[in-house]
Order: sequence, then C-alpha cells, then structure tokens
Amino acid sequence: MEFVSPEGLRLDGRRPMEMRQIRAEIGVVAKADGSAMFEMGNTKVVAAVYGPREVQNRSQQLNANALVRCEYTMANFSTGDRMRKPKGDRRSTEISLVIRQTMEECILTNLMPRSQIDIFVQVLQADGGTRSACINAATLALADAGIPMRDIVTSCSAGYLNSTPLLDLNYIEDSAGGTDVTLGIMPKLDKVTLLQMDAKLSLDTFENVMQLAIEGCKAVADYIREILLENTKQLQYRRGT
Amino acid sequence: MLQNRSYVKRTRGGKITKVVREHYLRHDIYCGAPVCKVCDTSQARLSATASTVLILDTNVVLNQIDLIENPAIDDVVVLSIVLEEVKNRNLSVYNRLRALCSNSLRKFFVFSNEHHKDTYVTDMSGESKNDRNDRAIRVAAQWYQTHLAGSVRILLLTNDKENKRKALEEGISAETVESYVRSLSRPDLLDLLVHPASSEDVIMEEVEDLRPSKKKIVYSEHKPLSEITSGIRCGIYHQGKLRVNRYNPFEAYVGSQSLSDEIIIYGRANMNRAFDGDIVAVQLLPQEQWHEEKSLAIADEENEEEEGVHLVPGSADDVPRTTAQPQDSAGETCSASSRPSGRIVGIIKRNWHSYCGSLEPMAKPAGSGGVAHALFVSKDCRIPKIRIQTRQLENLLDKRIIVAVDSWDCLSRYPSGHYVRTIGQIGDKDTETEVVLIENDINTRPFSTQVLACLPPLPWSVSSADLANSVREDLRQLRVFSVDPPGCKDIDDALHCTALPNGNYEVGVHIADVTNFVLPGTPLDDEASQRGTSVYLVDRRIDMLPKPLTEDICSLRADVERLAFSVIWEMTSEAEIISTRYTKSVIKSSAALSYVEAQARMDDSRLTDPVTTDLRNMNTLAKIMRSRRIERGALTLASAEVRFQIDTETHDPLDIGMYQIREANQMVEEFMLAANVSVAEKILKHYPLCSLLRRHPTPTREMLEPLLRTAAAVGLNLDISSSKALADSLDHAVGDDPYFNKLIRILATRCMTQAVYFCSGELSPPEYLHYGLAAPLYTHFTSPIRRYADVIVHRLLAASLGIHRLPTVFQDGPQLNSIAENLNYRHRNAQMASRASVELHTLIFFRTRPTDAEARIVRIRSNGFFVFVPQFGIEGPVYLTPRGEKGSGEWFVDEQQQKIRKMDGSISYSVLQTVRIHLEIVEPQPNRPKLELKLL
Amino acid sequence: MRGLQLSLNQTQKVRLQRALEKLESLSSKPNSNASVIVADSIPVNHEDGLLKGHGTSEVNGEVVATVCGVVERVNKLVYVRSLRARYKPEVGDIIVGRVIEVAPKRWRVEINYSHDAVLMLSSMNLPDGIQRRRTALDELNMRTIFEENDVICAEVRGFQHDGLHLQARSQKYGKLGRGQMLTVPPYLVKRRKQHFHNLEKYGIDLILGCNGFIWVGEHVEVTDDMVVDQVSNSEQQSAKADKKILSPEEQERSYTPQETRENICRTANAIRVLSTLGFNITVEVIMDTVELSISLKQQVPIHEMLGAEFYVLVAEKEAARRSLTKKK
Repeated sequence: MEFVSPEGLRLDGRRPMEMRQIRAEIGVVAKADGSAMFEMGNTKVVAAVYGPREVQNRSQQLNANALVRCEYTMANFSTGDRMRKPKGDRRSTEISLVIRQTMEECILTNLMPRSQIDIFVQVLQADGGTRSACINAATLALADAGIPMRDIVTSCSAGYLNSTPLLDLNYIEDSAGGTDVTLGIMPKLDKVTLLQMDAKLSLDTFENVMQLAIEGCKAVADYIREILLENTKQLQYRRGT
Repeated sequence: MLQNRSYVKRTRGGKITKVVREHYLRHDIYCGAPVCKVCDTSQARLSATASTVLILDTNVVLNQIDLIENPAIDDVVVLSIVLEEVKNRNLSVYNRLRALCSNSLRKFFVFSNEHHKDTYVTDMSGESKNDRNDRAIRVAAQWYQTHLAGSVRILLLTNDKENKRKALEEGISAETVESYVRSLSRPDLLDLLVHPASSEDVIMEEVEDLRPSKKKIVYSEHKPLSEITSGIRCGIYHQGKLRVNRYNPFEAYVGSQSLSDEIIIYGRANMNRAFDGDIVAVQLLPQEQWHEEKSLAIADEENEEEEGVHLVPGSADDVPRTTAQPQDSAGETCSASSRPSGRIVGIIKRNWHSYCGSLEPMAKPAGSGGVAHALFVSKDCRIPKIRIQTRQLENLLDKRIIVAVDSWDCLSRYPSGHYVRTIGQIGDKDTETEVVLIENDINTRPFSTQVLACLPPLPWSVSSADLANSVREDLRQLRVFSVDPPGCKDIDDALHCTALPNGNYEVGVHIADVTNFVLPGTPLDDEASQRGTSVYLVDRRIDMLPKPLTEDICSLRADVERLAFSVIWEMTSEAEIISTRYTKSVIKSSAALSYVEAQARMDDSRLTDPVTTDLRNMNTLAKIMRSRRIERGALTLASAEVRFQIDTETHDPLDIGMYQIREANQMVEEFMLAANVSVAEKILKHYPLCSLLRRHPTPTREMLEPLLRTAAAVGLNLDISSSKALADSLDHAVGDDPYFNKLIRILATRCMTQAVYFCSGELSPPEYLHYGLAAPLYTHFTSPIRRYADVIVHRLLAASLGIHRLPTVFQDGPQLNSIAENLNYRHRNAQMASRASVELHTLIFFRTRPTDAEARIVRIRSNGFFVFVPQFGIEGPVYLTPRGEKGSGEWFVDEQQQKIRKMDGSISYSVLQTVRIHLEIVEPQPNRPKLELKLL
Repeated sequence: MRGLQLSLNQTQKVRLQRALEKLESLSSKPNSNASVIVADSIPVNHEDGLLKGHGTSEVNGEVVATVCGVVERVNKLVYVRSLRARYKPEVGDIIVGRVIEVAPKRWRVEINYSHDAVLMLSSMNLPDGIQRRRTALDELNMRTIFEENDVICAEVRGFQHDGLHLQARSQKYGKLGRGQMLTVPPYLVKRRKQHFHNLEKYGIDLILGCNGFIWVGEHVEVTDDMVVDQVSNSEQQSAKADKKILSPEEQERSYTPQETRENICRTANAIRVLSTLGFNITVEVIMDTVELSISLKQQVPIHEMLGAEFYVLVAEKEAARRSLTKKK
C-alpha cells in the first residue's frame, strides 16, 4: 500500500516530517493532585496524578525513594469497534510498565521517601501513538502536581514505510506492519529514557528514523514547556499577591 | 500550515463501524504552473507556454488511458481524487497514469486537491460518492481557473453529460474527450479513443437503438456476480483461471480447486467471451455432452485454424495438448473422454491488456481518412480477433500494431478495442523482434540510474581487502580455465583439475561470485529478481544484470583475477567423490576456451601442455560420471537446436544448421550438474524449508501417449515404467537409419513438462525429484550472471557456510514462493522468446533461399501430415489436399498404423517416414509472408 | 491555561477573558518573570556563594528548577516556591484534617501532606481539660474523642522520628461538627495570624486550614462553661456512643436553623468558586464574595453560585477589588 504519495503527502495530508496537531490542557481531573489531557491528532489521553501520598501497601514502601505506580487503561469507546477488554490485559500491563519506568526516571523520587505517587492514564480516543501521548500527558500531570522532576519527558513515535521515515504515525500507518519506533527523551538533559521498536531496520535507516523521532520529541517538548509556563503564570497572577 | 478536519464514516467487513480519520488541509500545495506568481514554481511541471491546461475526470482516465499516453495530450493536471478513484477501479491504469506523472518528458502535474485548503469539499448529505467526487473535480477546476486567472485556459474533459452541464453552469469550460480530440485535428489520435457504449453521443445512441434488432445474439449473457458467487458457493459453478491452448484457440482449460480435474472448454460459444488468463466461473456440461462437444470443436477448428510452420517444440508445454485426442475419439470408445467439459457462465476478473499483432488484410475503404472498421489479429493465437476503428487504415495495414481491448458484448462476435501504437513494418526484423519481446513480457528498458548506482566503481579489480578476507580462499595459483560457446562474454563458470599425489584428482568448479556485488534488498537485486533471467535472442542478448557486471566484473575472463564461489571435490580416478568443499575464492583463469578449441586440444594427441592434460583428465572423469548417471536412469534427451550464422553487417542470417554437441560440451555439463547436485544437498541440509530447488516432474502415462503411439506404429515397444526403463528402451530404439534414434528422443523430449523452480518447504521430499537427470535433488548454482535462481542459491550456500546471514526474504515463505513462480514465468518466457526469435530468423533466412530438404513425418492429419526438418529444426504441416477442400475423401487415415493412404492405395505415408520437401516463403496475402512446405 | 470546565456563553466568555486579562496586568511585573517550569535554568550569580533551596537542583553547573513555580531569593538562598503541590507543613500551622485511623495512643490524620500526620493522645487536651498522665483507660476511650472520618482541627507540632506530629492543646482545636469541609489547593491559603474566623453576621465559623482544607460550620461558643458542660456530660456522651440514639432533647441541641445552614452552603460555594478561579482565599475575599451573591438585585440562589454567570461576576469583582487596592 502507498503510505506516502509521490507528491510527498501522507494519507491524512501530512508530509513525512510533520506531526499531527497537538493540544494539551492542564487540570482536567478535579480531585487529582495533578492532571492533564493530551491530544495528538485524534489520539486523546487523560492522565491523573495522585501523590506523593502515604503508601497504601506498607510492604511496598521504599525507605529511600518514592514508590511510583502507573496504570494504563483504554476506554471501551476509544477505538472504532467498541469491545470490552479485560482490565490488565498484556498490552495494558506492558504499557503501564513502560510509562512507569519512563516517568520514574525523571521524578526525583529520593526527595519523597516512603511515599507513593500514582499515575493513571486513560486513552479516550486511540489513533496511533497512544504510548507517546500517555507519556506526554503524564509529564504534564506530574508537573501540575508539583512533583519535583529532573526534566520533563516527552515522547513521539516515528516509523518507516515506503522507504520513508515518517514522524508520528497514526493508526493506519501504525498497523501497516512497518517499523514503529517510540522514543522518549529528556530534552534538557538530552537523554533518552525510552526507546521501543518493533520490526527491524537497518542501522542506517534506524539512525534516520531515530533522528526524526528526536526532532518530534523536541517539538513536543517546546509545546509542553509553553503550556506549563502559561499555566504557572496563570496560577501565579490569579492568586494575586 | 496544518488545519485539522475530521471526516467520517466507513464500514468494514460485516460490522459497521464509524471511522474517524484526520484530514489535514494545507496551504503549501502549489498549482504546478510555472507562470503562476503566487505559488512556489520550483516543482512546477506544466509548460510555461501552455495555452490550455487539461483536467481529466476519472472515467476519462479509465477509458482513454491510451489516448492520454500519447504525447499529443500534455499539460494535464491530474487531481489526487482522480488518482485515488482510478487506483480503486483499475490498478494497471493507475500505474500507467503514475508513470506518466513521473515521466519528466511529459507535463503531467499531480494536484493534491483533497488536501488543498481551497479545493477540499465536504460530503453533502444525500450526495453519492461519485457526485461528491465530480463536484470535487469541478471545484478544483474552478480554483485553477481563478488561480491562474486568464493566463491559461482551463479545460475540464469529461464524458459525463451531467458533470459537463454542471461545469458549464459553474463557468468552467468543459468538453467531451471526443470533441477535444477532434479540435486538435489529429486523425491518428481519434483511433486511440475508446467508445464506451454509455458515453456515446445522443445521435449515435439512436442509431445504436436500431441495431440490436438486426443483430443476433452471438453469446449468452454473463450471469450477474451475485449469482456467480452463490453458484460457486453451492458448487454449481467452478472458479478458475482460463488457459487457452496455445495451438488451438478453440480449446481451453480451467483449473479449478473445487474440482480435482481440469475442465475443458470447447469452442468460442462455450468460452463465452473469456480471454486467456481471465478468472472465470464455469458450469459443467452434462456428461453425455462431453464427447459431443469435442467433435463439434474439431469441425470448428478445421474451419478456421491456421497451421504455421514452427520450431520443434522443446517440451510438452509447447505441444498442442490434445493433438492426439481428435484421433482418439475416432478410434477409441467414448469412455476414454473422461475429462469434464463445461461452459463459461461469467467472468470474475478480466485479464485484458494490450496485444501485439496486425490488421487482417481487407479492401481499402474508398476515401482515405474516413473511419474504417478493421479486424485485428493478434500474434498470440490464443487471443481472438479484435474489432477496431481506425482512420489510418492504409497506414496500418502493413504494420505491427498494439491494440487494447475495451469491451465485448454478447451481440458481437469479436471484442472491440482500440489502436494503441505502431511498432513497425511487418516482417521487419527489428519490429518482429520487438513483438517477440513484448509478447513475452520481457523488460528491455535500460537499467535505471538507481540500479546502476549499485555497481562498484569501474575499472574494478580484486582489492587487497578481498584477498585479506578470511572467508575468501586464494586460489590464484590454480590452473583454472573456462570452456564456453565461442564469443561468450558472460563467463560464469570455470574449472580446474589437479592430480593429487595419492592418485586422486582435485576437481573444482568456480562460479562467478555475483552475490558479492548484488546485495539483497538493493535496487540492483530487485531489478535482477524481476528480470529473473537473461534472454538470448539470435541477434541480441537482454541481460539480467547491467553490462559491467555481466561482461567484466563477474565474468571469469582469462588472465584477470576474479572473485568466485567454488565447489571443490576430491575424486578418485573412478570419479567417486571423496569429499566436497565449498568456499568463496579468488581465481585467475589461465585460458578461456571455446568448446571447439577445447575439443580440438583434447583430440590433438600431439599437445601435452598442462591445460590440455587437465582437459583430458576431466574428460575421462566426466565420461565415467556420465555413464554412471545414465546407469541411474538419466535420460539422454535430444533437442533440435539450430544455430545461425549471422551476417556481421545486416545481422541477417546467412546459414542455418543443427547445433553440434561435442564431448567438450558434455564434459562441462557433467561437472556443472555435479556442482548443482552437491550444492542442492548442502543447502537443503541447512535450510530444509526455504531452499530453492529445481524439480522435473515424472511424466504421466497420458503425457507419453503420443510417443507410445508413434513408437507402436513403427513397431517399437517403449517401457515407460521408470526413467531408467525409458532410458534403456530409448537406447535400444535403433532403426534402420542413423537419425532414427535421435528422432525418437526428440519425440520423447516433447512429451515431458519443463523442470521448474520451487521452494523446498512447499513439497515433500519425494517430489523434489528431477526426472530427466534422475537426481533426487537438483538446483541451479552455476550461472548466477544470467539466472536469478542461481543468485538465490548462492546466498543460501553462503549462509549455510556461515559467510553471510540469510536475507530476511527467506523467512517469508509466500514471498519466496512468489519469487520462484516469477522465476519460472520469466524462464519460460525467455525460452519462448528465444524460440520465437529463431523462428523469425528462419523465416528471414528462407525469404531469399527456397530450399529442398529431407524431412520426417511426425504426425498424421486428415488432410496431410506434419513433418520435421532436422536440418533446420523446424516443424510444419504438409497438405496433401489443398486447404479448404477438406474431407474430399481422397485420402484415408489409418489410426492404428499411423498412416495416411490414398484411397486407391497407390501412395501411403506413415509416421517417421522420410520425405523430401520444398521450403519456400509464400505471400498468400500481401504483407503476410509465411513459410510453406511442399511435398516433392 | 488551566481550563474551567464551565459552559460559558459568548458574552460571558468575553467578560471572563477581560477580567482575567485585567488581573494579569495587575499582577506585579517582576513576579511574572520569576515563573519557572521544570528544567528551566535559574539565572544566579555564582560568585556570591549560593544556597540552593527547595525545587532546585544543579545540572552541569546550572541551577535548574525541578518544579513549576516562582523563583524566590532570600539573601543567598534561591528556591522555587511551587504552586500546585501538596501541603508542606510548617510548625505552628493550623490545619484541618480527617482522622483515618485510630492507632495505639494516636490518631492518624490525613492532612493533604505526602504522609499521614500523627496526633498523639498525649498531645491532646482531654475533654475534662485536666493535665495529667494518660491512663490505659484513656487509651481505651480514644474513640469517644475522635473516630475514623471525623474532621478535626489541630496545629502542626513538628517532625518526629515517625513522621509529622500534630497537637490539639487548646479548646479551639478538636472535633468539628455541623458544617462542611472543603478542599482547595494549599497555595491559595496564606499563612496569617488568624485562621479561625467567627462570622457573627451569618452565625458561622470559618477555619482556613493552611493545608488547603477549609471548614465552614455552625458557630460554636468556646466557653469555659462548655468545658464544664462537657465534664458533666462525659458519662452521657459515652452512653451516646453506645446507643447511637438521640433523645429528643439531644435532637433539639443538635438542631441547626435553616438560615445558618443556608449560610454555611453559601459560604462554602463562595469558596468553591474562588478556588476554581484560582484566587487567593482570605476571609475578606470570601465575605466579599458571599455579600456579592446576596447584594445583587436578584439574590443569587445558593445552587446557582456554581453556575457560569456567578464565576464571571466573581472574577470581575476580584479584578475591580485588586485594581482598587493597587491604586491605594
């Protein structure tokens, strides 16, 4: 199938190096300590952060660090065909783990010993790149919850179809069976916290795809910083002196 | 730059789901006109001086692609919505359109209207998809009109009346294709127009209305698709691909999965407008009609069939499948005809493409320039005649042309089509060669720059890195030499033979290391795998790999260092293989001999130089190996290959003769066979599921029937119970003349099917057998320069030795299979093309040289017989009664004895009898030369 | 921007926008530049010797924020005051909390801190008001003082080895009843001298807990006679705990007049509005807001206080108020 037309347009009209439209909103869950909604095109996820709070299960308590937990769920209505998925299926468990590990890396857990931070991410609408969107939403929610972090983590996927590196795959491109690289970086520290790839790529192409994904992550980072700064300023001036 | 607009709804398999897809509308899509002041013109494709820019609607593209391909149509804006619709409707048209768009000589610009912010249209409620797309086309046309504001005329070409009306209402200039082409005043273009019944002008339609009453229905209606699918499901109909007999267009077979046997379709009426290669639905005829249909078909056949002189068929695939059967039915009982026959009730998928051929000679119409209806006869006799309209009849009569089929309704005896292009003069060597190539789907385009970019820089020589490579053995000190046909430039094999101190011999076969240069996944590799094989015509060679590789870098020429892949045996003097070794190597050939030279050296007892000694040693070994192979039951089959002597200036054939096979040929062949077998064993051991092997199926008794009948007629009893038995009985078939044995072998050969490539995972080990060679395993390893199969085998072997990793394609069973299929297809086409090329040259040869020759009767017909002319390797009919005057009763055919006898008993001819004939080119109709054989 | 989940109509949107813009312009300029977010580097003068405070870390010689908030500099100390975060206790803070567990000699109290706080039985004034050693009997009777889910008011005593300790050694602390507890982000509550407010006009008590828990309830007189009362009733109380049935007399005592209840709700909603809008929550602002709701031509019904229109009004009012104080 042709995913990039000879005119250089993808199925949805983007060019290979373009991301979908991204949109973020902070403070969408009233009861949570921090929350955010993140949209990448038609992919829409909500993240809520609770904590740091008392560890619920004492046996899991860590004496030097905070315990970070993460739960990823997909709403039944998030995909085209509405199906009831059992909670905690393999895929969800895997993504939960991936997000947890990615976020744990950036949270300064040593500052909050013997406490627990819960991150709940839910996919409201899935159109490819849910992993990335979840990580971006989680970053925003953590920052909103005022949890100290080394750096923000941003994520973006990139793929390789029709011999072209493509940024930010949507569902059709994702399910085309090509390679899909999901990357998470800490832009300020210039470090990679997440790198997942299914299928194979030659090293040269991989470098290109990876580079593209890094560009994508940086673009997401710029947007997230903008959103966070705007939010901080708003909070600041609204409160008054 | 991005705008987001979600659009909705699509249903998928059974369940209805709502699919929401993003759709970005852009500001940066440019109009492609260099005169435009607003847009970025760096990507502009349209010409600066264009006065009119054409916009085509989908149906125009679908129907008139041949017209559009004509260079007269230019400055076209192709809308992405049109491309998309065309893609969904007809992939081959889509590919052609895409090719036009990417051709830098043509001024076709693709405008992505669906993603342009101003030309995107949202669905309106109650609007059908077609209407919406038509509207999108009009909106785009209108946008162009305002965008280029008067500097260029925008013309929408549409044959849809409604669309045209609306366009005109909206102020867009629109025309039908026909009126546009007329306005160009190029009569030849009008020929390219397709006249689909639905889009004809009103006046035409009225005329059309009167005609059905006059016309009789020739074919029965096709059943609607829904009925066919339900019919197939409940087993009334059978689905399959129609294959028309290459020698008898009135007989076709449908291999159906639902029925174990092939279904035979006799006659045009039962074929019901199906073409070769169509996927059809067949209904079986009642069993009592199976036989009756058959005799009908013969009658029909003899009316129209035109028998020509052909090369001797090389294998059973080339032979008319049922040549024996008409006679069968006369002699045997009805019970013999157990094969089901049927009739086609519907066509599921058409396999129409364009065909090469010429117009049927006809009287010229009074006024030139007017429209004439002509019948087109394809070169491929499986294709029925095609009715076309032309305004340049006079011009086309003596030309080879290409014609495409448009439609075939049940009222007309022949399908209607349209002229596509002219190849050249009939009978002209270049024209006919091109026809041969087109007919056999052979890619003669020069290699693309991407492919050529994969070549190593020239001049190439073995580098120190190659020598230092630990997997590459340095065999330059060995006395390696090659033996090939004279003038061979793509030398892909070389040999060496060294006597060892222990009395054994070390024998090596060195094959050009093509895979060192053709790396998997590169454009070069893709191209080679598509081409599959080099094609050898009498006067030219179409290479599988680019020339620098074929003739220089890979070719194991004398006195240069070359990379090779070697198979080295240690053999006893009794030619028993003690050990086998495979390695990549560097060799330096000390001599590139021709067969003649090698033979001469061996024969000349005065010569005692090392190479000659090696040759003699090898020859001795080869003879032993050969006799052992024959002992095992390998068939010594014969073919009647001919050689031409070609005039160096005109490239016309000067002389023609049988290809002589010398001991030297057999010697080289023997070692190549041994190498192939050794490699096959090695790769199969390592990769039991994904090896590429070559098998030759055991012929069935039915296939050998014609041979047995002929043999019986001359009192020979052939034992066909096994290949060994057959080989033995062929050996014992010695007649009174020296050529008799060879003749029988030739007849035997043509009863066999061809060997084929296959993927080892597909079949069970007993089926791997190569019948002809009596080898349980066989593959092709020794000619990687000219066969892609060998390239694959090289990779497998290298991987099994741990030199390289196995390319990923080998893990993909279906893909490997499709590669093997393609190789078989290409291989076969290459052979067909070679044969056709020889036929063509034979014709040219006899044009100026009417000749008398000796011939052998191979088949008896009711009004004559087929003879084989050994001297020229051709076969053709000799008529005893003038054609058309059949069944005069003067001649009587004796089935049992395979004899044709004059009623009064004065003269009789029997099969295998020698006759003298006269060969001469005659021209029964102008521009249709053919070779005629007459009895002397 | 933090979105309000409100359905505003077009004019309301414009008005709200305008009010917020006004607020933005009123906020002091240097402060707005001090906003940082995670991983922003904070410009510092290294020569002056430097103390890195909360919310900062050092990466490659740069001082980098680890939370979103406002950079504060106190002499050599540079720290980031985070805005939205859990409560960071300071000794002496008055907090409102909820008892979640009754443990040996202590209660565990949820106070919106990263850990639960501990209120020792020994840091508690007993109902009899007498300072004495706590007996085993006292320990058995702990539930008569606070049960699980009781809302209490206390003061941060300090950090001990086993966590944050509270104390309630005054009559003004203790169990809160007949009212509502609200949760607001802690940064909206400023530490002040007075956190207990008796709004006599409405007959209600308001406790602005530093931890973002706010109590709005019926006014309770903290008098000595009440202490006496408590003593005399201690047996009765234990009886009540056993029976869980209120005598008509008790019912009479626990009755809150409708008007007071309405006032409680009105005040609570005012706080909700302010918290959603992210305005500083002080008793003055709360009172202004409550009065706004009453003083309007048509008194805003309590349930409509959470409607879009009132939000806009409050925002406008706040803008006006701040510009007024600014001018002064």
